[in-house]
Amino acid sequence: MKDKVLIANRGEIALRIMEACELLGLDYVAVYTKEDEESLHVRLAKKKYRISDYRDMNDLLAVADEEKCTAIHPGYGFLSENYRFARRVVKRERPLIWIGPTWEVIRDLGNKLYMKKVAHKLGIPVIPGSVEPIYNEIEAELKAQEILEQAYEEGFEEVSFLVKAVAGGGGMGIEEVKNLEEIRPVFRKVRAYAKRLFGDEGVIIEIKIPLFQHIEVQILGSKHGEYVHFGTRNCTIQSPFRQKRIELAPGFYQMGQYNFDPAKKEAEIIEHSLNLARHFNYDSVGTFEWLVTPEGKYYLMEVNTRIQVENEISAKISFVKNKPVNLLKEQIRVAFEEKLGYSQRDVAFKGMSLEFRLIAEDTKRGFTPLSGVITRFDYKEHPWLTMRTHVPKDKPYTIPTQFDPNLALAIIYGEKFDDLMEKSKQFLNEIVIEGHTFKNEPLVTNIEFLKEKLGDVYKFLSI
Amino acid sequence: MLVELHKKLKELIELAEYIRDIKGEEFLSIGNICNELTDFYHHFYDYSQEKIISFIQSYEEKLGKILIKAEETLTPYEIVKIVRHPQRFTLLDILENVYDSYMELGGEGELNIDPAVICAKAIITRRVGDEVYFHQVMVIGHEKGHGEEFRRGGSAAPWGNEKALRYMKMAETEGIPIHFYIFTPGAYPIEDYPGAAQQIARNLFYMSKLSVPTISFISEGGSGGAEAIGLTDLRLMAEKGYYSVISPEGAAAIEAKLKDERPPRELVEKMAKALKLTAKDNLQLGTIDRIIPEPPLGARRKDYEFFKRLKYEIIKATDEVVLQTRSLKMLRKYALSKQNFENFSYYVNWELSEDEKEILIENRYEKYRKMTQWAVLEPKSFFKCLAQRGTRLGQSIAYEVKYRVLKSGQKTFKRFFEELASESSLLLKPVSDPIKSVYNLIVGKKIRTKVRMPGEIEEETEVYVSPLALQDRTVTCPQAEKFGCPDLWVPDLYGEFCGVCPNCGYHFPLEYNWYLNNIFDKGSVKTFNDEIASGNPLNFEGYAEKLKAARKETGLNSALLSFEAKIGGISVVAVMLVADFRQGTVGVAEGEKFIRAVEFAKVSRRPFIALVHTTGGIRIHEGTMGVVQMPRCTMAVRDYVDSGGLYIVIYDNNSYAGPVASFLGSAPYQFALKSTRLGFAGPRVILETTGQPVPPDYHSVENALKRGHIQGIWDRRELRKKLFFALLTMGAPNLYYR
Repeated sequence: MKDKVLIANRGEIALRIMEACELLGLDYVAVYTKEDEESLHVRLAKKKYRISDYRDMNDLLAVADEEKCTAIHPGYGFLSENYRFARRVVKRERPLIWIGPTWEVIRDLGNKLYMKKVAHKLGIPVIPGSVEPIYNEIEAELKAQEILEQAYEEGFEEVSFLVKAVAGGGGMGIEEVKNLEEIRPVFRKVRAYAKRLFGDEGVIIEIKIPLFQHIEVQILGSKHGEYVHFGTRNCTIQSPFRQKRIELAPGFYQMGQYNFDPAKKEAEIIEHSLNLARHFNYDSVGTFEWLVTPEGKYYLMEVNTRIQVENEISAKISFVKNKPVNLLKEQIRVAFEEKLGYSQRDVAFKGMSLEFRLIAEDTKRGFTPLSGVITRFDYKEHPWLTMRTHVPKDKPYTIPTQFDPNLALAIIYGEKFDDLMEKSKQFLNEIVIEGHTFKNEPLVTNIEFLKEKLGDVYKFLSI
Repeated sequence: MLVELHKKLKELIELAEYIRDIKGEEFLSIGNICNELTDFYHHFYDYSQEKIISFIQSYEEKLGKILIKAEETLTPYEIVKIVRHPQRFTLLDILENVYDSYMELGGEGELNIDPAVICAKAIITRRVGDEVYFHQVMVIGHEKGHGEEFRRGGSAAPWGNEKALRYMKMAETEGIPIHFYIFTPGAYPIEDYPGAAQQIARNLFYMSKLSVPTISFISEGGSGGAEAIGLTDLRLMAEKGYYSVISPEGAAAIEAKLKDERPPRELVEKMAKALKLTAKDNLQLGTIDRIIPEPPLGARRKDYEFFKRLKYEIIKATDEVVLQTRSLKMLRKYALSKQNFENFSYYVNWELSEDEKEILIENRYEKYRKMTQWAVLEPKSFFKCLAQRGTRLGQSIAYEVKYRVLKSGQKTFKRFFEELASESSLLLKPVSDPIKSVYNLIVGKKIRTKVRMPGEIEEETEVYVSPLALQDRTVTCPQAEKFGCPDLWVPDLYGEFCGVCPNCGYHFPLEYNWYLNNIFDKGSVKTFNDEIASGNPLNFEGYAEKLKAARKETGLNSALLSFEAKIGGISVVAVMLVADFRQGTVGVAEGEKFIRAVEFAKVSRRPFIALVHTTGGIRIHEGTMGVVQMPRCTMAVRDYVDSGGLYIVIYDNNSYAGPVASFLGSAPYQFALKSTRLGFAGPRVILETTGQPVPPDYHSVENALKRGHIQGIWDRRELRKKLFFALLTMGAPNLYYR
């Protein structure tokens, strides 16, 4: 029987999964909600079902059963890192193939504390801080003191702390503490917040890395124990709420100014990432996120057990046996238990790539996402430009309010750094996004912000 | 002369009507006799005196014969009717006729805290030769009234029982005996503060150690309402009284599974027989100590002979209780047996010395500890018995040595340790792991300041999977409409969600095994006394079969599990009432197991936890054998709590009636999970008794908290953590890890 994939996502990632399925000759079914009716992924899908919510497991599985799907691709966001959904998909009476890592891996790596503990055991550097959840304020203060000593030993000066909810993420449930006296009240506040919001009181304390670059490693594993990596990415340029805005591949600019040997550090980071992946029998695409300090120290931050938004910039600079790579295609292939058919030696890196996230947001007023209608969406086609978007060019598009505010991803390829920067500037000057909000004010986008930040690439920044 | 005859005729009519009410119209055509008498009464003044005299004489004779026949054929249900009859004597009649003077406290008549409960300071006199001695006593009891609405038939409201408790305390302060008179069909089932169940539990808890002699006299002993003032040193019962776990009508309705209609008369009669509720039955069962004889068909408000007898008996009973606390017991007993019922041969001072008070309370504990033990079903051989006694003795010595002798040494270490540590968290550590920290100190290891939390303790071992979780289907949260909860996949719901809707926190019911496997440290649960089985002490028809079915279905011998277990390394003794076995109802086996577990917790100085998966109350099929488990278990609880332990009760699902109104409700720490429904009587019983329907959330945990019944509402997902924290922070210093 021919395999059929349920695409349990929306927007540009749904389009990319559709494309990958077509490349592999697989059938697929798309789903959409009422708000997304105008989206391109709905227009282009051959077969589609309307559901109530992309997070509604019952709806999704009902569609999968109705259409006799054999696999499910969760994309990113929504249910992609929900291990309960992944488990239900494979444990139900009519099991489906989960296109992603096994549910156990999603659970264990998704639990930041557990991941940190394992990494620590494997000798992988993690951000100095508690490795167990703290539940009581006396312990919190003692722990903070301990961390402080440890940080001084490691050569940090003027240490401040981050008090984080274990279950938090995406900038929620994090508070900065500048001195020890504040630990108790802040701890109580975060704990109360965590309990209310996530139902888990666990809190951890870490030191705040003052200056850093955000580096991530793209890993691919198969069910046959094969592992390859597709280099690193640099995602240091983020919104104040730690959301990525500009990503570059590779993660280190070999010609740049560093106080350390970037090639050596990159190799170490990749090796650590592969070690951790091997430890968990990681068998899908995954991203290992690191913080690198100006002194060349690096710390593992978290692991994303899914395909990432910025996967394509890695694909652009990687060539397998001299052919371009499609990571979505690879992800689906390994999920169907195929062998990779190549090894790390067959992967060559060439050129540099950059991705802009184009978003309707007011960067001058707290980065609030805007809703409204896009009346004009235009850009010039170039051989070095790949646009990933669900926004149609030919008719007005209403931005739904309840989803991720990404409108488009612009992926630019250049042979050399200067060349890449040139093209990026050119693109930002050429792109046109016009429209109005529901209050009939002109729609603001983050293009100006991106232009401004383009000068900061490959720099050590603080948030 | 005529006036007297008129009066006599009236009395005859009353008697005839009384017989008719008890035995029915048909009985020896008593109905006709009644009519004839009233007819005659209406034309009284038309007849000549001779005619009247002969009429009265013939009818007196007739009724006398009928009365004897009636007494001979008296059935248990007729006894119930005697007790309920408006002509029966009440507490006020007793106060008038047995005591020499009295003063009501807490109100009289309608102007009262609770007209169903009377408290009075009274004087009772004793004649020894030519001397007259006065005894001061406190009289507390129910007043049924002779048909007055406001007395509510002697059903004490929660504040009525609270009033009783207050005057018990007053009697204790003044050092005078208390005479309790029980005339209640049951407690008035409303939850308003201080709460029906709560107040009864409080009363029982307090009465366990009341330091004055207490005597109770039962005429109408309606289950929990009776126990509220029934835990006494000596329990007397009127010959025509009844003492039962439930009214025969109530039992019939349950047995026939009726909802709204009245149960058939034959079934009610059958139940009255099966419940073994008469004085004779109760004496045989050992739930009362003595029967006070009554005239045929029971004493009515003008039976002065009966009051005279009652006065004698109540003085004698008080004497007996007092004398049991004194030396030269045998001699006194001999004297006691010699005295006749007209005159006392000596005077007994009812005041107790401190030592005597202690003996009094010990005697009381012994008395209730032994009660119903004859009915405990336990496989026993001679050697096993011997071995059991040996281990018990050994255990108590071992624990004594371990915690009393060695502990003082340990305490020195601890003090030294405390001086070392300035942070209070260091104090918490010895709480969580005393042996290790002391060990560390001795061998000189550097102590890391870390508090063990349950999360860390959990090692990855085999995870318990609820049988409910083994299906690939979804359920809809009952609160979905209100909170928009998505449907829940059953394996998730009964797995990691602990049966709780993650969106709105609705708690789905879970099987009892879930608690055993998820609250306690893995593999630490060790049950004991499993072989004690529920029996059928009343030979209640059909009950043996029901028990057999329950045993087969659950694999358990009773509704109560008792076990040792650990929570975060802290060793505890625990019991659990299980819904699967006869709705978690309590009978002899459950009571005995409970007491043994409490006693075990006491000697081993461990915290004692009672988990309530569900309890439906006292098991009606075991009658008053079940009811007396309320005072029995509460005494054990009081003893344990006073010895410096930690008793925590956790409710889930449905927890009602007897157990809640005694050994569960008297716990100093009570918590309920969100899904709990907690109270004294269910909504239907409340509607039937009070005539008022209650709102659907009447028994919810929120309301239980507002009424002060529980100390907190817990989420099932946090149960283990909360319990662990409770163990660390609550309870008295006598626990082994303090």
